[in-house]
Amino acid sequence: MSKEVKIIEKKEIPAGAIMLFGFPDVGLVGVVAASHLISELNLIEVAYLDSRLLPPLIVLHEGLPHSSIRIFGNHNILLAVSETPLSADTIYPIIMYALIDWGKSKNVGMMISLSGIPIQERQDAQDLKVFASASSPDMLKIVQDKGIEILREGYMVGPQAIMLQTCARIGLPALTLLAECFLNYPDPEAAAEVLKELANITGVKVDVTKLLEKGEEIRLRARDVMRRTQQELAKMKKTQEYDIPVYVS
Amino acid sequence: MRRKETMSIRRRRSIFEIIGEYFESIEEMAEHLEETLIERPSWNQKTRTMEPLRDIMVTPTEVVITVDLPYTQENTIQVKPLDKSTIEISARMKRKIRFEDFGIIHHKGEFQTLHCRARVPVPVIMEKMETRLKKGILEIRLSRKHEYAIPMG
Repeated sequence: MSKEVKIIEKKEIPAGAIMLFGFPDVGLVGVVAASHLISELNLIEVAYLDSRLLPPLIVLHEGLPHSSIRIFGNHNILLAVSETPLSADTIYPIIMYALIDWGKSKNVGMMISLSGIPIQERQDAQDLKVFASASSPDMLKIVQDKGIEILREGYMVGPQAIMLQTCARIGLPALTLLAECFLNYPDPEAAAEVLKELANITGVKVDVTKLLEKGEEIRLRARDVMRRTQQELAKMKKTQEYDIPVYVS
Repeated sequence: MRRKETMSIRRRRSIFEIIGEYFESIEEMAEHLEETLIERPSWNQKTRTMEPLRDIMVTPTEVVITVDLPYTQENTIQVKPLDKSTIEISARMKRKIRFEDFGIIHHKGEFQTLHCRARVPVPVIMEKMETRLKKGILEIRLSRKHEYAIPMG
């Protein structure tokens, strides 16, 4: 693990868990999905990330300071979540490498990043598709067998890109689930879709009814995080995901 | 033919008008920079308004502005052009939102209106505005005004 980043454990970490990531990204799909998982599964904070590289920011809950990047969990899930968008250039890669190293040291069975893929005319879309990409051909087969469409060609930008590439290199099974979503607006419907496919793959089931019912409240509440996430996505050149790749065989 | 039209438009504008427009555009740019660079909260206690998220897309034929208006009543949405390049959008929410609703007690205040201004980056025909609301997203479509074209060859 990087000397610049420490992961401080508060509880015993179970071995063989599935490690999930819900970081601020397009439509805040990962963050909204993660927040719903935490409340529905009563996940508790098991670890947090500390680093001098992080901005001078803490999150106050019940008057007490918390790291903006925390890991929640239970006996079979570890969920890394950030409540604020992170700097694209240096912090994201370092933090992702640290989290992946930590997960590997805890013998996690699989890593899954929950996120979105923006589509134009999203408000006219009826059924939101969820795409997947994987760290290995075996993982691709697993998602295909579950009826999930593969993101075959294109670019991926953000923490999920680092996760997939790193996991492919170290041989740790990993997936990214991407629900069609708004680019710049919080999208609880997309978060619900990604959670349905997460259940399909892992068996980690949560009822998304409340999430959909609270959709408008979430959109209102998440405006500020979305606005700041937009700024980081622009620096990260997130729109590169719209680019048509040049195929190099 | 188009070149003649362009020439005739140019003849009608005096040097003072051109300088005036130049300063106007600098003022607009300064206002835009202020809006984007200066940090401020997304709510205003005095006016009891919250600022919604918005997005602007420019296509060859139109400008599409979208505004996320959760919790709003459709019949209260107002879209007003303020001048040739600014639109004001406001909508009343279904109920009053208080800071306490978000677990915040160190600020006091309640809000019942979403309000924002959108600056249109290219000339448009404000009179040809089309609006629709779907899934809580207000969409405003404005036809672009092509004031002149540079002739080829």
